Amino acid sequence: MRSSTFISSTSKYLLAFGFIALVTAFLFTLRDALDTTLVALLYLIPLGLITAYWGLGPGITSAMMTFLSFNYFFIKPYYNFAVHRPTDVVILVIFLIVAIVISQLVGRMQASLAAATAREREATQLYELSTALAGLHDGRTIAEILAKQVQDVSQGEAVELNIAGEQSFDFRLPESSQPTRPPEWILPIQVARGTLGEIRLWRAAPALTSSEKRLLQTFASQGALALERARLAQAESRARVLEESDRLKSSILSSVSHELRTPLSTIKAAASSLRSDDVHWDSAARPELIAAIDDEADHLNMLVGNLLDMSRIESGVLKPKREWNILPEIVGSVLARMKHLAVAHRIEMDVPESLPLMPVDYVQMEQVFTNLLSNSVKYAPEKSVIHVRAFIEGESVHVVVSNQGPQVPQEHLERIFDKFFRLTDADRVTGTGLGLSICKGIIEAHGGRLWAENVPDGLAFNFTLPLIWEGVSPPTLPMDMETE
Amino acid sequence: MNNAPHILVVDDEPQIQRAIRTILTEKGFKVTTASRGEEGLTLAATNEPDLVILDLGLPDMDGVEVCTRLREWTQCPIIILSVRDSERDKVAALDKGADDYLTKPFGIEELLARVRVGLRHSASRQGTQSKVIQAGSLMIDLAWHSVKRGDEEIKLTATEYKLLAYLAANHGRVLTHQSILTNVWDPADANHTEYLRVYMRQLRKKLEVDPERPQFILTEPGIGYRFIADE
Repeated sequence: MRSSTFISSTSKYLLAFGFIALVTAFLFTLRDALDTTLVALLYLIPLGLITAYWGLGPGITSAMMTFLSFNYFFIKPYYNFAVHRPTDVVILVIFLIVAIVISQLVGRMQASLAAATAREREATQLYELSTALAGLHDGRTIAEILAKQVQDVSQGEAVELNIAGEQSFDFRLPESSQPTRPPEWILPIQVARGTLGEIRLWRAAPALTSSEKRLLQTFASQGALALERARLAQAESRARVLEESDRLKSSILSSVSHELRTPLSTIKAAASSLRSDDVHWDSAARPELIAAIDDEADHLNMLVGNLLDMSRIESGVLKPKREWNILPEIVGSVLARMKHLAVAHRIEMDVPESLPLMPVDYVQMEQVFTNLLSNSVKYAPEKSVIHVRAFIEGESVHVVVSNQGPQVPQEHLERIFDKFFRLTDADRVTGTGLGLSICKGIIEAHGGRLWAENVPDGLAFNFTLPLIWEGVSPPTLPMDMETE
Repeated sequence: MNNAPHILVVDDEPQIQRAIRTILTEKGFKVTTASRGEEGLTLAATNEPDLVILDLGLPDMDGVEVCTRLREWTQCPIIILSVRDSERDKVAALDKGADDYLTKPFGIEELLARVRVGLRHSASRQGTQSKVIQAGSLMIDLAWHSVKRGDEEIKLTATEYKLLAYLAANHGRVLTHQSILTNVWDPADANHTEYLRVYMRQLRKKLEVDPERPQFILTEPGIGYRFIADE
């Protein structure tokens, strides 16, 4: 149907006239053999065809033309428009009426068929749009699809879509187009609570028909609904996240108060018994109680420190103070400090001096090693070996801290870095349950990656740290070789 | 007890004040306390204490500011008290003239050690400074530029010696990265901590019995280094 509109209306009339002329010529050759009534009937066939194919206008005009040529060529006296026989007058009048009625009937049928097809097309396009938009929760994708469909339907030179609000953006199709004149049509994208944005359409010719405008308006309102739905879905998921973090916070609070109360109880018990007369001045219990107070105070301090670090990581304010540091020095100082904690284990260090300087925060890296090592010390059996290795891997340094402790089930290898996640009963091992998640936070703040894997005889923590810092490779220093 | 050293404690927390006062008085020091920065500055001006213990988190003004204003007229040692994770503030206060720092919570032994070092340095500023520094088996002769472990002479490069001499002359005190770089290298190199890291490592390898567990040159994470000599 669409191609017929490309034949201009003038040529339709010309074609119609040509067709009539052809039929007239054909009938003219058979004039003596045919009865006038039969000629009138035969003339109706091309008329019907003309109206059916080229529309009502050419149909009616052809009817008038046929009427004249019928009178001129086929009704005696020939070659003028006079009519002598009254029957011929009747035939002529009836022919004219029938010709016009047929033309109109066929024409109306054609028009309603065209309208039905157009409606079907609109419905299909609308259906395509709503199918494409269904289930989308991203405002950007929705707007992209909407703009594409508007462009498809309107066949315009350019379509621009502006969405205002918190996630504002512009979208233009085709992307290369840069219209200089104002758009031919601006279509607001409206929802109940106001305007979300607008669609601008550039199409100079042909001008938009009312049905096209109607369809595009429906598109805009469909798009508006989809965008609104996306916003609601986002708001809902935000609310869910908040609820989740709220629940996490209360679980943190309960876990923390439990963790804090344990050392506090020890301190309270030791201090109060020292204060009372129960413990003699020279009793052997005295130094033990004092040591307990001291140790538990340190433990409390560590807990509070971990909590602080965790909240910094979570709020994204843990910014490493990066400087070029020597990795063996960091590991060495951690090992020296942990010496009294790791008496039951053998720690083997394989961190070569030849490693380049690393752009890391000294204090934070100390903490990573301290946490990974104390985790290993906590879980690995006594007399087992804890191994610290570091080597270059491309533009990073890969560090492995492995122990001969129990393996972690595959499905929990990721989760051990979650806050307060414990594989074993909380009463068996002391700690905050924050150590590993702090490590992860620190390594990630350095642009690295931390993960755990089971190795044949135990568990290994792996992390990588980039060597390139703000596009700069590790510096090498010119050494002065002269001696005093 | 008239010539007992006089210590001014500026801290807004009454429990800390009480604990420090009790312990220092017990050890024979004369103690004055202030809970606000302005009060501390006034007391320092009227009492002229031998040493100031200053908390960085004061209600009325920044501890670094107190430090700067004290340094305008007095060279008395200042020991900074602060909470963990405020390396930036500690370094700022140290670079503004504070002598040392302690992280809360601290052990009392640490506090006393810092106080002793502070008082000794202020004494040596007035009198003559000892030219030979002994640290375990290590002996550094600042006059003769010689470093010995036992009887064995240790060969150092010019920069290594300069670094060691600066640390040893300030033994017991924490020295920030910036102050070491400024004094041993050049003020223009104050940000090149990598120089410090590399030379410090070389120096430790030559001096320390176990460079991984240094006894003489200690790292103060995030702050600087401290040389430990015999008292």
